[in-house]
Amino acid sequence: MNHTPPSRRAALRNLLIVLAITLGAGIYAYGWTVTDIDLEKPQDENRQSNVQNALRELLSPRIFDQDREIITTSTPFLMDCEGESPALSDSSDAPYVRVTPSCGKAGDVVMIEAFNFESGVQAAIRWAPIEGQRRPREVLETGREEIIIDSTGDFKGQIEVPRISGSSGQIHQIEFLAAIPSGPVRFSKITDEVIRRMAETIFMALVATSLSIPISAALSFFAAHNLMRPVRVPTGNLMIAIIALPIGWLIGENILSVIGRETINFFQGDLEVSVLSMLFPLVGLGMVAASRSVALLETPSLSHRLRSVGEHLVFALVLVFLIGVLGGLSLVIGDGLVHFADSIRPAGNVGAVNWLATAGVDGINGTGNFLNIVGGLIELSINPIGGLIGAFILSSSVTKLTSGALRSIEGVLAHVLGGAMGAMNGVLVFGFIAEIAKGAALLSLLTPLAAALFAQQIVILGHASWWARRKKVVLSPIERINRWIIALATAVVAFAITFIQLRVGRTVVDGTLPSLETIDLMGVEVTRYLLNGMIIGGVLGSMFGLVAGTRQPFSIGSVLYNVTRNILNGLRSIEPLIMGIVFVIWVGIGPFAGVLALMLHSIASLGKLYSEQIETIDEGPIEALKATGAGHLQTIIYAVVPQIVPPYVAFTMYRWDINVRMSTIIGFVGGGGIGLLLNQQINLLRYRDAGVAVLAIAIVVSILDYASATIRERIT
Amino acid sequence: MLIIENLTKIYENGFKALDKINLEIPDGQFVAIIGLSGSGKSTLLRCINRLIEPTEGRIVWNGIDITAANDDEVRQIRRHIGMIFQQFNLVRRSKVITNVLSGRLGYNNSLYSFLNYFPKQDRLSALANLERVGIRDQAFKRASELSGGQQQRVGIARALMQQPELMLADEPVASLDPATSHSVMKYLELLNKEDGITVLCSLHFLSLARAYAHRVIALKGGILQFDGLPSEIDENRFKEIYGEEAIEVAIS
Repeated sequence: MNHTPPSRRAALRNLLIVLAITLGAGIYAYGWTVTDIDLEKPQDENRQSNVQNALRELLSPRIFDQDREIITTSTPFLMDCEGESPALSDSSDAPYVRVTPSCGKAGDVVMIEAFNFESGVQAAIRWAPIEGQRRPREVLETGREEIIIDSTGDFKGQIEVPRISGSSGQIHQIEFLAAIPSGPVRFSKITDEVIRRMAETIFMALVATSLSIPISAALSFFAAHNLMRPVRVPTGNLMIAIIALPIGWLIGENILSVIGRETINFFQGDLEVSVLSMLFPLVGLGMVAASRSVALLETPSLSHRLRSVGEHLVFALVLVFLIGVLGGLSLVIGDGLVHFADSIRPAGNVGAVNWLATAGVDGINGTGNFLNIVGGLIELSINPIGGLIGAFILSSSVTKLTSGALRSIEGVLAHVLGGAMGAMNGVLVFGFIAEIAKGAALLSLLTPLAAALFAQQIVILGHASWWARRKKVVLSPIERINRWIIALATAVVAFAITFIQLRVGRTVVDGTLPSLETIDLMGVEVTRYLLNGMIIGGVLGSMFGLVAGTRQPFSIGSVLYNVTRNILNGLRSIEPLIMGIVFVIWVGIGPFAGVLALMLHSIASLGKLYSEQIETIDEGPIEALKATGAGHLQTIIYAVVPQIVPPYVAFTMYRWDINVRMSTIIGFVGGGGIGLLLNQQINLLRYRDAGVAVLAIAIVVSILDYASATIRERIT
Repeated sequence: MLIIENLTKIYENGFKALDKINLEIPDGQFVAIIGLSGSGKSTLLRCINRLIEPTEGRIVWNGIDITAANDDEVRQIRRHIGMIFQQFNLVRRSKVITNVLSGRLGYNNSLYSFLNYFPKQDRLSALANLERVGIRDQAFKRASELSGGQQQRVGIARALMQQPELMLADEPVASLDPATSHSVMKYLELLNKEDGITVLCSLHFLSLARAYAHRVIALKGGILQFDGLPSEIDENRFKEIYGEEAIEVAIS
């Protein structure tokens, strides 16, 4: 339909290309301006000599050192004389210094000559007035203070007479300082320090990586869409499970954690009793296992369900008890080791054997400390651990017990029940979200966003069931677009209502948190903010429940997948250096802050890498195991895990490699390790010392790079 | 007895893979399902063990309504239905014996599975089943080290661990060469004859169906095109099923 002649079309196209190139060039040129590219600065002679000096020193790292004896040879200089004072005419074999002329005024250039020194020795010239500080003088020929005696053992160079007020007629001394090496060549102090810090750095990376592995491996299963997408549960079961979660948490926090804490305390008493009592949980575990080895019944009856709930309870008790045993034993054994190490620590310092013994004792002491920290961590977190176990056990038990009853509820009743339970769910979920949202201005946007998502889901669900009632499964494009528009509009409305109702605007603009003004609600003090959020949640939840009913399958897998993915992506986009700054505020300057920052970032990025590996596995075995009647967990253990072990190991190596690189610079923000040392040396302008650190980083990083690449190649 | 009534499957993209299929398969029958690619063979097999959710219709097996079962019940039912696949679907990095044992997971408790423990009885029967398909000596090799035919036999041994009463075979020989194909088909025939396992096997080659099946079902575009004895398929029937252009190729 195009009537333009071909030649004109070609011309038009060329014009467009030219325009595009011009536009691109303009944007690129703007980039140059923004980045301050300036051809004058690099040509500046001062800057050039500065950078040359810095580079020369960086590339001359002070790896080795030698004791030096400073030999000072001086010669007198008369300030502000008129005539020419006769030059001293030494001619001995001993080192001596001569200045010509030996008198003059400030600003004069005089010649310094030194004789009979050892060749290659470092030297410097200082001006020593009668009173006041000595002033280092720069040799005019080289522009530097440092002097190297040439191969003849002599030196000749010019310096400028300094301007010193009130010095007229005085006799000053010109000191020639020669640093004569004495004693053997050895590693410099900075080398020792660098080696120590480098070890610290490598261990920071190791600890951060190893701590992040279990967390990110667990998260990766939730962030893999091929595993999560098919996970659907009837909405009613899910609603009951969610209602049971906070109740279970409360029970767990108040009962299970007490058992755990008592176990820890008990174990700190007597070691022998503790070891003996470990038999108890093992027996319990064995009983659980034995009772389960009976083949599953064909149709699960109520008594079967009750028994399985009983097993859950036993399992919860045994688990919390075992965790308590672990914590208590760690503390006891840790203390024992520390004391043992103290008692056998060798006194004095004699030779290599003693050094070995000291290292051994340090090792025992370190292990003891480590166990103490593990025990302390368990002791600190026993409340949330109890809560978590309680929440999950109660939730799964209640779901099991009620699933039969829920299945028999049909029709209108299912929707009414769904509405009622949905309201409770909405209140809980939005209460939880609002609790997070009140933390900061950006977080406060979470509540309106969640409301929008919820509203959108309600529309999609309602739309689907409306069409399903008309026996139509496949929608035409126009119907799809309609649904999309309605869902979007509803989402916007829900967002707006929540935004206004919770005064999110004020929070975002002012950066102030929502007011914590409370109101009395039947004797319970509730924050107005939280209450409003819960009311919105209740309304949305009841609508959702009414539309969905209790039988509609809900893809909880997709929800978990999206939440996990978004959290991981968000975390990953924050550089560990920035996390380091925050952790330094929390735990102070030092390697611990660096470890925490690297760990958090590793969790996010390993979680992503791991989950991508899960997404690329061969799904055939999963299908095959499902077809044999294997459960979810069994399918994952037998069909997924064997396939992901090699890539997991490879990516962990890779991450350790990255963490070593990162931990070399995380010290710049106070995160400990070699970066801290490097930063100090650079700030003190000690580039030769900084050079040692840079060299060490280069060596370690390239070795690790090579090692991790080799290992990864072997595995995959 | 497996009864399929009005089975219809429409995928989310609107593709109608099965259209009102009605079948009755008595116990112990060896049934071949033939048809072009995309005619609904795989969908039909996977609807029977609910790897794919049917859109409409009922599947009743030995009096149990499979389509109405909940997740737990589906797992119980699946334990009695073996399945083998075109791509074998073994965990290639795991040992052969582990692959075979994993067929038993549905009967074992998750805690055991977590500890990688199988009862002794299971381990013995895994070796026995490998013996039965003639590859006992390969039991401790990695699955990936085996040839295609051997891998498919591992797949059969895995399904046998379930002590199935019904075996679904989704183009079990499509990735194998002719000679190996026959050996795998012979093992299926053996299970059918010796153990009385009902076999539903989708096939590409009519000649294989003629050689092994008691009954042939042909699907075309999701519709049941033919249901009868293998010998009843003459040239006209063949062209009905595979289209006018098709020429029958035999696998010898």
